Amino acid sequence: MIVRIKLFAWLRDAAGTEECRMELCPGASGLDAKAALTDRYARLRGVVDHVRLAVNREYRSWESPLADGDELSLIPPVSGG
Amino acid sequence: MPYLTRHIIAWERVAALGRGTTPRACGAVVTFVGVVRPDDDGGRTVVALDYEAYDAMAEDQIDRLVTEAQDRWPLDAVELEHRVGPVEVGQISVVIVVAAQHRADAYAASMFLMDEIKRVVPIWKHTRYDDGTSEWAMCASAMDPLGAMHAHV
Repeated sequence: MIVRIKLFAWLRDAAGTEECRMELCPGASGLDAKAALTDRYARLRGVVDHVRLAVNREYRSWESPLADGDELSLIPPVSGG
Repeated sequence: MPYLTRHIIAWERVAALGRGTTPRACGAVVTFVGVVRPDDDGGRTVVALDYEAYDAMAEDQIDRLVTEAQDRWPLDAVELEHRVGPVEVGQISVVIVVAAQHRADAYAASMFLMDEIKRVVPIWKHTRYDDGTSEWAMCASAMDPLGAMHAHV
């Protein structure tokens, strides 16, 4: 299955891209997507530990199962206000 | 109306938002205005903050927070605007107007909305300093948006 991953703020800067597509095995979870992402973008290794996952604009746990076509967003600690 | 705006929020806009919450008499209108400070907590001089947002999700999240505030307190109206893009020192970054019959509810809802915005809404500030450097703000107050529902390491 294919998922789309959006990166923001310093995560985007570290990866050098704001969006990418990943092919994952059926039944993959957010954790699998994170592992695939850090395989592709070595600079994200170690820095994604404090990052939250959103799936289709809603916060989800990293263990959540994913579906084909999901839009994943990696949300670094927010600093609005 | 979207909650995020790329335009400068003038003080006249703050007044208009306040006025807009009072089509009928409500006893209390609490207005919180966030303004960019020249000093950061590390003693360096700030020139401006560049706010970035995941717009679609930020709009959804703020909408959810406003609904939650209206469920928790008896409110007459809520108006909220948050800047994205460059905001210079002294300029307004966020406005929250809460109208209710009694001030305790309006204050409580205003505090709740600001605290939750800082905790869960996907907005990030990139700080520009007077020495030409800039960096992403790392906000320690941004806790796990899933709260105690999920134990993360």
